[in-house]
Amino acid sequence: MSARTINSRFLLAGKVVGVLALLFWSVGPIYWALATSLTRPADLVSKAPRFWPEHVTFEHYARLFGAESVSQGNTVQSVWPQFSAALLNSILTSLAATVLTVAIAAFGAYAFVRLRFPGRNLVFVLVVATMAIPAYTVMIPLYRLMIMMGLIDTYVGITLIYVSAFLPLALWLMRTVYQAMPLSLEEAAWLDGAGRIYTLLRIVMPLAAPGLIAAAILTFLNAWGQFIVPLVFSPTLATKPLTVLIPEFVTRNYVDYGLMNAAGILAIVPPIILVIFLNRYLVSGLMAGAQK
Amino acid sequence: MAAVDIEGLRKSYGKAEIIHGVDLAIAEGEFISLIGASGCGKSTLLRMIAGLEPITGGRISLDGRVINDVAPKDRDIAMVFQNYALYPHLTVFENMGFSLKLRNVPKPEIEKAVGQAAALLGLEPYLQRYPKELSGGQRQRVAMGRAIVRKPQVFLFDEPLSNLDAKLRVQMRSEIRALQRRLGTTSIYVTHDQMEAMTMSDRIVVLNAGRIEQVGAPLEVYDRPANIFVATFIGSPAMNLLEGRVERSDGKSIVWLGEIAVSLELPDEVRDGAAVVLGIRPEHFELDPGQPSTSALPVVVQMTEPTGAELQVYGEFAGDRIVATFRNRPALGEGETVPMRMPQSALHVFDRDSGRRLN
Ligand SMILES: Nc1ncnc2c1ncn2[C@@H]1O[C@H](COP(=O)(O)OP(=O)(O)O)[C@@H](O)[C@H]1O
Ligand SMILES: [Mg+2]
Repeated sequence: MSARTINSRFLLAGKVVGVLALLFWSVGPIYWALATSLTRPADLVSKAPRFWPEHVTFEHYARLFGAESVSQGNTVQSVWPQFSAALLNSILTSLAATVLTVAIAAFGAYAFVRLRFPGRNLVFVLVVATMAIPAYTVMIPLYRLMIMMGLIDTYVGITLIYVSAFLPLALWLMRTVYQAMPLSLEEAAWLDGAGRIYTLLRIVMPLAAPGLIAAAILTFLNAWGQFIVPLVFSPTLATKPLTVLIPEFVTRNYVDYGLMNAAGILAIVPPIILVIFLNRYLVSGLMAGAQK
Repeated sequence: MAAVDIEGLRKSYGKAEIIHGVDLAIAEGEFISLIGASGCGKSTLLRMIAGLEPITGGRISLDGRVINDVAPKDRDIAMVFQNYALYPHLTVFENMGFSLKLRNVPKPEIEKAVGQAAALLGLEPYLQRYPKELSGGQRQRVAMGRAIVRKPQVFLFDEPLSNLDAKLRVQMRSEIRALQRRLGTTSIYVTHDQMEAMTMSDRIVVLNAGRIEQVGAPLEVYDRPANIFVATFIGSPAMNLLEGRVERSDGKSIVWLGEIAVSLELPDEVRDGAAVVLGIRPEHFELDPGQPSTSALPVVVQMTEPTGAELQVYGEFAGDRIVATFRNRPALGEGETVPMRMPQSALHVFDRDSGRRLN
């Protein structure tokens, strides 16, 4: 064997190890949650940890979807009413935040790139700089503000907070996308007789679609995973999302691991579906052929 | 179709003035080329006509109507961009019909108009393709098609052929010219390629650093360049320039190039002792070995290059580089001193200081 083939084997082995480590890192916790959600409560607390369920059970899922069960001699109530309400809240607030954020970013970033107004760059830097402010520093003033406006525990309140939190990132991303687009496409449309808005909607946005979708995915995932904000601003099931509900399965004398993990696994599903759905529109090479 | 009038047009970016007062009257249906080195302001001038750049000073009018403050979309001017700027997410048909759709032209009429333009440009088989599925030449045609479908008042072209290979460029330039003759639309064509300007235009405008140096029919500009800049800019290889001094005695005028006397007719304003520059194009030198002449330039041959059609001779006279081209393939050895005659009619005389043409 020559030195070269040994070398390339080492390289291959290194790659394999790297990929495995990465997989373990990212998929490991999800597997652990899945395994736990399929394990009987008794097996969960009594035995040494196992890497797969000994007796697969769907009882945790059943409880989430409405069955009563018996655990350690007690009848345990179904959590479907709470679970379904929180799931709906998560979906509604995340979707609303996503749609609003992306819509505002789509127009706002365009203004920051193509319109000239005094202080344009300063305003942009200020908006983006708010990303550096940690959430807890604004939490108390924000809480008082929300009380004043009567927006605690309302969809409007939560959505507004999400939009203000995620807009800077989306704006930044969309600005980069617009900056990379050749101005001559827009100029061609203007000369063809199109106005600014028409050009933005018919020429610029279709070409910026991959950026808009990336912004949508980022915003949705960010909103879906929020914990601190809804913990403070969503005290009841009127707006409480899954992230806040699931930890409440911890009671004073019993931690319901199985139920928590089953709920956690189900909570992963909507974002996965969304990403798969949106990903189909992330067509690469859309810009090819505009020029030369 | 419209006449375009440009008066005292200026453009500044911040403090830097790029266009310094351009006056140009373009007749209805005329094909006019703007030619000049890269960075001289050709694109800027064109974009001001299109309305894509704000005008700092002066006026642009279309058939007498001042359009300085008219938005690009309301100017009824079409432009073919250097990079084509085709809409990548629209098919060829949709690209070409975009402007008509915007004006709410009924679908059958759009189909008819696009169909006609496509037939004219040989694009019929490609109407349902996207720009990325076309070759460079086809994209160029789509860009043309998008402009002609609208039947605009004026066509603007910004170096539309510069991204094509040499052969296609030659083909497209005659196609564009033929198309323009057929449609009769006033056209302003920006190029840095003098062959394009010379072959396509009714008149050419030579620009230099934001100023017009000369406007005229191609051959007029070639035969009678208004100044040294135009003389050297138009023509390839460039015109030879030789510094000399004028001597006037009893109504006759002579230009001394060192020891060589060249007799010439000069206007009276050219005084005795004036410093001038004589210009002669490479193809105007004549070899006449039989009869040595005082007004022949003794050129030391340094190198010869046969191009097939002609022989290019590179040489030197009194420290100046000389380029001459001959069609009859004379046998010239390197290092040889060859007398080259300069017919009076082929000589251009410029003022050395102002560069202005004197004869
Ligand atoms: N947006 C701009 N800001 C500042 N200077 C510019 C701008 N656009 C063009 N220029 C300058 O104006 C001059 C003319 O440019 P341009 O019209 O593009 O030249 P050409 O098309 O003849 O090559 C150049 O020197 C260029 O640097
Ligand atoms: Mg240019």
